[in-house]
Amino acid sequence: MVRLITHNLLACHVRGCTTNNFPLAFKDVEIQLREAEFNQDFLRGFLPKLEWRALVDTAKSLNDQSLPDTPPAPEQMDTEFLKALHHVLLEIHVEEGAMVCANCGHVYPISNGIPNMLLQEHEL
Amino acid sequence: MGRKYLIYYAIAHAEFRFPELQSISELFGFQVSLPDSEEDRDPTRPFMIVELDEDRHARLLAQRCILVKAIYELLGEGVTYEQLHASTKSNKSIWDKYQQNSFRFEVTAVNHTIPSERKVKIMEDFEYMEFQGPITLADASVVLTYFEEYPIKHTLRKRTEGDGDFDRAFFGRLIEEGACRSLKHKFDVKQRVYYGNTTMDAEISLLMANQALAAPGKLIYDPYCGTGSMLFTSAFFGAMVFGSDIDGRQMRGKNLNPPGIFQSADQYGVLNRILDCCTFDITRNPFRTGGILDAIVSDPPYGVRAGAKRLGRAKERPVPRAPLETYENTTSYVRKPYELGDLTADLVLLARYLLRPGGRLVWFLPTASEEYQDVDIPVCEGMELVANSEQNFGKWGRRLITMRKSTNCPEYPPPSFDPAYRMAELGDQATAPSGHRGFREKYFAGFKKIGDSSN
Ligand SMILES: C[S@@+](CC[C@H](N)C(=O)[O-])C[C@H]1O[C@@H](n2cnc3c(N)ncnc32)[C@H](O)[C@@H]1O
Ligand SMILES: [Zn+2]
Repeated sequence: MVRLITHNLLACHVRGCTTNNFPLAFKDVEIQLREAEFNQDFLRGFLPKLEWRALVDTAKSLNDQSLPDTPPAPEQMDTEFLKALHHVLLEIHVEEGAMVCANCGHVYPISNGIPNMLLQEHEL
Repeated sequence: MGRKYLIYYAIAHAEFRFPELQSISELFGFQVSLPDSEEDRDPTRPFMIVELDEDRHARLLAQRCILVKAIYELLGEGVTYEQLHASTKSNKSIWDKYQQNSFRFEVTAVNHTIPSERKVKIMEDFEYMEFQGPITLADASVVLTYFEEYPIKHTLRKRTEGDGDFDRAFFGRLIEEGACRSLKHKFDVKQRVYYGNTTMDAEISLLMANQALAAPGKLIYDPYCGTGSMLFTSAFFGAMVFGSDIDGRQMRGKNLNPPGIFQSADQYGVLNRILDCCTFDITRNPFRTGGILDAIVSDPPYGVRAGAKRLGRAKERPVPRAPLETYENTTSYVRKPYELGDLTADLVLLARYLLRPGGRLVWFLPTASEEYQDVDIPVCEGMELVANSEQNFGKWGRRLITMRKSTNCPEYPPPSFDPAYRMAELGDQATAPSGHRGFREKYFAGFKKIGDSSN
């Protein structure tokens, strides 16, 4: 953890930072791969909520090229695609490092798999 | 037409009985019909007869309802011994198919001990059933149980005194024993590798996961997750879970690697269902979008042991520039009190944003009971009340509230956690005095009304 599904849901929330504040860029990461249960319904239900471009780019930044640039239509999602999506969303864990905002530069440090997303007083 | 089943209940947590039954039947998509008369529905009594379509539904109830000790197919009932047998005889078509099965007979009572001589006599009295299969103690294919329900004895009398003066008797075929006992044991906080001083107890954490309709394929979130109790029970029932807390130390523990919350999850075999845990103030949250959650389960800070806090400075002062901190060294973040009335209003508005249509919000509302009114539960467009169960601790109580986001509703914006937004969405309720507004002050004042000079 941090998994890419979580990463895809969180944006920089520093006061006034409202454009180009997503996705946060991973920096100095230490990654672990861990198997997770495959659940098609969960993946299909989540897909409409994902920012696809951000997911693909972030996966690439972590050296995973398995996702297509545009998601297939729901009826064309075969097992191969869903397995790749499953792996990217749920099995890549960023244990150490940071997430950095491209707009304001705020650094959200990750230690032991838990990101610190608290803000300083001047950022509220 | 449904078949009759006898539910043998744990006596504790009477207020949760119907909400739980409703939740589990909704989760698995079947109907439960309750008895007509109020007396027969009395949730403080150990037995209740319900109608279900099939044994499978009874099994699901036994496996998921935390308050169910066991479920039986009802074969006979009565307020007298004669009535019980007459009723059993008239139900022959329900039990005659088991006459050749291996079987076992149990005779027992609630609030009473039946002397062993009479136990033998009772078993003999069922001779007319003509069960011819082998009597096997272990793995009998049919277990027949006879119950007598006695009123609670308040004086120190012998367990056998008043033998035969029961209120009701029941006779049934065991469908399944409830999983409650083993689950309560499994999630026992004292056996957990990591917990803290506000860790929620096992039984309530399990009940909350049931109210949240936790199941595979769902995403459940606790925004005040602390050491994670409700994340574990929700994940145990198959959901993916996500937690956050303003205080990283609650999740991490002292110098624990992996963090304590992950160690406990691992102990329960659900580490892989913890999507993530993050440190942030819920009032300054980083969610990019709403409509993503199937449920929110939470035990917000009451302000009894530790007052609720949010980021920010209580009084406006010039803002000093602090260097960026790398760890959640809490002293390096400015905090101000977070009034409980504001917190509850914000939680409901946040749930309305983050939940999918039909998703549930399950949370505790502490309340000074004397002042409690239903109006205390924040009501806003798009969120409806499903259940409200009180636990009374004498001078104060807490209520487990279950709400549902309406299925036909627009997308709602993220709440802004300020008075103007609360006022716009909740109107007067946002500022009206209520049982939980100023809860902390009242708790310490022994719940006397402010200004009350007597005593
Ligand atoms: C009653 S405890 C929850 C305990 C948890 N259910 C468990 O089993 O450990 C409430 C938690 O809320 C956290 N909290 C208080 N204010 C908060 C805020 N503004 N945002 C997020 N979490 C907060 C506290 O740090 C505390 O861990
Ligand atoms: Zn930013």
